[in-house]
Amino acid sequence: MSQAWFQHTFSRKRFRTRNQATALAILGVAILLILGSLYLSQVASFAITNRQIEDLISRRDELKRQNEKLIGEIASYRTVPRLFARAVDIGFRPATNADIDYVLIEGYNPNRNRVSRTTSEDSRTELTVPVYEETFGSWLEQQLALISDQFRSFGN
Amino acid sequence: MQGPSSQQATIQARLPFVAIFLILLAAYLIINLANFQFFPRSVRQELEKIGNSITNTTLRIPAERGRIYDRDGEPLAYNLVQYRLGISPAFVADADSLSAKLSEILNLSYFEIWRKATSENVWEFLAGPISAEQGQAIAALDDISLGLEEIPKRFYPQGELAAHVVGIVVDDGLRGALGVEGAFNDTLSGRVLDLAISKVPFDLPEDRPAEQRGQDIVLTLDRDVQFWVESELKNAVEQYNAFRGTVIVMDPRNGDVLALANYPSIDPNNFLEIADPNLRVNPAINETYEPGSLMQVLTVAGALEKGVITPFWTYNDTGYLEVGGRDIFNATYRSYGTTDLATILSNSLDVGAATIALQMGTSDFYSMMRAFGLGQATGVGLFAEERGELRLPGDSDWNESFLGLNSYGQSLKVTAMQMITAYAAIANDGIMRQPRIVRQIISEDGPEEARSSTIRRVVSAETAAILKDILIRVVGEGAPAAELSGYSIAGKPGTAKISTAVAFEEGRNAKILSFIGFLPADDPQAVVMVKLDRPDGDFGYQVAAPVFRRIVDRLVILLEIPGDSVRSRLAAAEADINRSSS
Repeated sequence: MSQAWFQHTFSRKRFRTRNQATALAILGVAILLILGSLYLSQVASFAITNRQIEDLISRRDELKRQNEKLIGEIASYRTVPRLFARAVDIGFRPATNADIDYVLIEGYNPNRNRVSRTTSEDSRTELTVPVYEETFGSWLEQQLALISDQFRSFGN
Repeated sequence: MQGPSSQQATIQARLPFVAIFLILLAAYLIINLANFQFFPRSVRQELEKIGNSITNTTLRIPAERGRIYDRDGEPLAYNLVQYRLGISPAFVADADSLSAKLSEILNLSYFEIWRKATSENVWEFLAGPISAEQGQAIAALDDISLGLEEIPKRFYPQGELAAHVVGIVVDDGLRGALGVEGAFNDTLSGRVLDLAISKVPFDLPEDRPAEQRGQDIVLTLDRDVQFWVESELKNAVEQYNAFRGTVIVMDPRNGDVLALANYPSIDPNNFLEIADPNLRVNPAINETYEPGSLMQVLTVAGALEKGVITPFWTYNDTGYLEVGGRDIFNATYRSYGTTDLATILSNSLDVGAATIALQMGTSDFYSMMRAFGLGQATGVGLFAEERGELRLPGDSDWNESFLGLNSYGQSLKVTAMQMITAYAAIANDGIMRQPRIVRQIISEDGPEEARSSTIRRVVSAETAAILKDILIRVVGEGAPAAELSGYSIAGKPGTAKISTAVAFEEGRNAKILSFIGFLPADDPQAVVMVKLDRPDGDFGYQVAAPVFRRIVDRLVILLEIPGDSVRSRLAAAEADINRSSS
């Protein structure tokens, strides 16, 4: 009886067993490939994004430097001796008391409360908190698009 | 020979031992794994440190120093970036090509660069400081052998304008050492950070934190007024061949310093090239002097306030008085007979001032001098302010003659800032405002107004009004050169000898001539102090008063102060509008 069982098991199910094992192996490899691809695409997109952020930070710092330089240049062009000389060049002269008429304007405060137009533009920027609104579907689409992009780039 | 069943029996007999061995081995591994997971803190920290040293690199980020602006937002000090360039010869791929490129960018010798690029050393300094443009061009080469290091550079776009007020920075731009840069160094400097940068490409890049940046400062200075005052001061110093000069303009209503000028000045952009160390201090607050006859106004104010004298008080001036064993004479060695307060101040009569001080007595006199702020730093907000010298009864080096000498400005020392603050109190109806140079501090949270504060009421409004009337007469009778057409001006010229440790200096120019005045006298909006050290000329009314007039001639336009008649007309018109609207 035991021999019959043995024959029944191995002779009839040999092919099916191999088929299942192969299918399982292929499935496993496929899952591993998908997971691996997803992992690689994630890692690659992380690295690319980080590189982009680094570039943006450098670019921002560079722009800040250029901005500082421009502020300096503008300030140099706006120094009083330069403005004074330029005004004289184009025909102006310093006003005297006799040149000035004072008029009363209702609501005007003669004691100027000068409001500084100074702000540290670069440091005043409002910080916005990124809002996470990604759905699983959009994430999957994004990943597929990334993978297909990468495959396309490999082909090129 | 054993049969299969015997072998099976042997295996079955040994199997428990093998199983036990495997279980023990597994237990040992699990325990070790647990041990590994729960290392002592010190070991974990050490391991983390080793790990971080592999994956992280530390970058020193210099703090960005806060900017300084005038009251209208014109930049007076801000930052530029420069670089220092070095090279790692071991990483140089093509020394010839790199040297050629660097030589072109840096304008340096090709052979010098090539020598360093092929050196055996691990690191060679190439150039620095180099400009931001050169730095960018080098960064664009994207060569791993080159190392660029940021160096902050402070730049003062207005050059010498208000140099002693704005100040300078030393130690590679890290520390303020004069003026606002020095006094507000902690506010301006920000924090130098050592930022750990991860080399792992999956970690988010670190950004420099915003709070690292220093705070910006807005001054009370008015750039236009400052420029005008500096121009006139320079002319005056040259005209009168003075050793040095100082002018301060203050708004007595809030203590704002609108201008503070010294000549000769310094160029803060080339601070290291200043050879004379005397130029590296601000004489208006860092140096003291005997104020001379300017003090007589404070003596009279104190006596009026204490009720020791009335506005109609007179005395018989014999030209001589002995106080505490010391002989006191008028500067002209003349006697003036029956003399009133205005005459004392117009003619700067030392005997008159000493007579009043004697009537006050030491207690009243010194309490009033303390109330006027003598012997105390004003707290204006500038670096290393001197507090002057006012010896008081009870001090080991005080004697009775000091009461007489101090009453007309000798044997005590003040700063120019102290004197103008005391006069500003009289101009402001007796209320002394805290002098201030900083108007706003701008931090990450927004601008914070530095509140104008009151120090104390020094004299009553009535006393201040009496003094203003007297000082208007003093200008009319004693210093007509200070008068400005259309404006009522109150003021007092001062002539002071220059004291050394043992005696007064002798010589034609051994004096300090000054004038302090305010306008419009009935509603003072500006107090101006002119002080010239060692000028040609004998008296303050001859030398300092005309300079004062030239300054206020333009000041009334820059500060939009209408003349007396115009202000009366405007006041009447405003009253009409108020009547009609009510």
